[in-house]
Amino acid sequence: MNALSTPARLDAPASPRGRQRSRADVVINVIVVLAVLAAIVVGLSTHRFATVANAKAIITSASLVGIAALGLTLITIGGSAVSLAIAPTVAAVGMMFLSAQSLGLVPALAIALLCGVVITGVQGAVVGYAAANPVVLTIAASFAITGLAIGISGGASVAPTGSGYDHLNATPGGVALSVYVLIVLAVAVEWTLRRTGFGRSLYLIGANRPAARVAGLPVGRTTAVAWLGAGALFAVTAAFTAAFNTSANVNLGGTLTFDAIAAVLAGGTSIAGGRGSALRTLAGAVLIAGVSDILLLRGYSTGVQIMVKGLIVLFVVVIVHLRTKGSRA
Amino acid sequence: MSARRLGRPEVLLPTAAAGLTVTAFALLPAYTDAGLSSFDVYNTFQIFARLGLLALALGLTMIAGEFDLSVVGTYALGGMLTVQAGQEHYAYGLLAAVAAGAAIGLVQGGLIAGLKLPSMPVTLATYIALLGLTSALSGGLTKTYSNAAVTLWVDRTVLTYFSPRSLITLGLFVLAAVVLSLTRWGRELRAIGGDRRASRVAGVRVDRLLVGTFVASGVLSALGGSLLSFSLGSANPDPGVQPLIVAAAAALLGGVSLTGGRGNPLGLLGGIMAVALLTEIVTVAALPAYVTQLFFAGLLGIIVVIDAPDLHSALVRQRTRLRAGTSRPSPAGAQPGSQT
Repeated sequence: MNALSTPARLDAPASPRGRQRSRADVVINVIVVLAVLAAIVVGLSTHRFATVANAKAIITSASLVGIAALGLTLITIGGSAVSLAIAPTVAAVGMMFLSAQSLGLVPALAIALLCGVVITGVQGAVVGYAAANPVVLTIAASFAITGLAIGISGGASVAPTGSGYDHLNATPGGVALSVYVLIVLAVAVEWTLRRTGFGRSLYLIGANRPAARVAGLPVGRTTAVAWLGAGALFAVTAAFTAAFNTSANVNLGGTLTFDAIAAVLAGGTSIAGGRGSALRTLAGAVLIAGVSDILLLRGYSTGVQIMVKGLIVLFVVVIVHLRTKGSRA
Repeated sequence: MSARRLGRPEVLLPTAAAGLTVTAFALLPAYTDAGLSSFDVYNTFQIFARLGLLALALGLTMIAGEFDLSVVGTYALGGMLTVQAGQEHYAYGLLAAVAAGAAIGLVQGGLIAGLKLPSMPVTLATYIALLGLTSALSGGLTKTYSNAAVTLWVDRTVLTYFSPRSLITLGLFVLAAVVLSLTRWGRELRAIGGDRRASRVAGVRVDRLLVGTFVASGVLSALGGSLLSFSLGSANPDPGVQPLIVAAAAALLGGVSLTGGRGNPLGLLGGIMAVALLTEIVTVAALPAYVTQLFFAGLLGIIVVIDAPDLHSALVRQRTRLRAGTSRPSPAGAQPGSQT
């Protein structure tokens, strides 16, 4: 990343056009710094924001969206834009997880993972091998998953058939288990992306699919594997969400699809693919949770919280776009 | 010539979809014990009116090679503004909704055209922000519209099969079709969707057209929300993702391609009518509602797989390899393939 942008910076002052670019870069950087400072000032001046209890609340609320967003990060970096089937997948897997509780926690988790991997992996195979449009495909998949889930469950809520799921609601050291899982998974995904051949090919495929194909990379297989990983991460989110709610129906996913996309975009990952990281997504999820928390503490309504979330995503998308354009020129 | 025109996806898909569903609808009494009445036709048009403008708004941006996810946000905001500003007179509400829709379209179009941003993340952010704004305006509650006269008027039966609401929606489809086929905007819209750089070089004012398309999309979705609020006599701050998904399905069935550059308003009309008929068939036949979803899923799955470029090129490669194998001695044998 650094190696790529340094030469551009070096010859930038050579031409007046380049100087203009770098001045625009400075303006963008100043805006970003000011925005961060403003957020910190508002945060610190908010009553009860800078407390340990509140930090725990923020990271707990970021954890469920964060795990799903890590999965989406794999999809986005690989150049398949986004999946619009996250919430239905989570709902279906969550229902499966709770109804398999009578087998015990570990088999139920295994079943949930398998379901998530199969549901999402099939979509990934179609996207990877046939280059099908991921947005339309996942719209179709969301219909299919919700339809099947309603058909099988009869539209009713699924109650847990055992109590093993309650271990997922544990709070070791006063912090929800999902937070530890989020951090471990973020590090694992980041390591996979940076240090394995799979991760590097994924970046290349996302940046330029035809070139990756010509270079002989296994485009179809890599994309499919990325979606398989995403499916596993969606399944983890599903298990935690279902355990937290202690019942699951087709609406279990709620607004998770858009929350996950917002976390990925707010982290600065480009929707075009080839850029981004798991740690950025983690930062995006925490950023959105933190700002929502400030607004909540200051007594703003849910509507205002959602609106500000949208505006943050818009701001980051514009800034990231301007910066990447600047460093490319 | 006409056979080839019919074979083009923007004609074939909506014709086939509308034809199939009309046939299935007309044959309903044959395979269920439910009879058909003029009310069922009226009801189909009511379903069409509920989602038609949303599909048109989304479809127009898709023809231009963009994807306006914010249509549902504008739809919700338009409906809410109509109820809150239109308590005294419906025209104020309508005006507020249309103005908001135009302003949203202007901002999004300006960002997308001016900064050359990809439309998906921008409109997604706007979608989230608009849902939040609508919820903040209403305090998260459903607001009722007290002007019952308007509610009765928009849904009263006209000419047995229609209501003013469905006629307005149909009228806007016809207007869009006439404007896009009689002016150069139609061709330019497809041009910027097909190859933006080439159309810019050819002298199309790409930026202006993009902003215009997003303004049209905003106004149409806001109007759709207004009409729905008038009809229901209330406005819901969160319509969910279902309308977006159904509108996208309708647009794709209407022969619009996600890569842009293909489609027209009449095709979109065919697509959304197919969706409305299907919903009505499921209602009349008393099938469980999820059957519609499975059906849409199958349909979209087929469309997206047929449309997939790598699958297509793999098939072409396979076919040329076969043909090359059988006709290797005569080089002329490869000629017809390369001409098409």
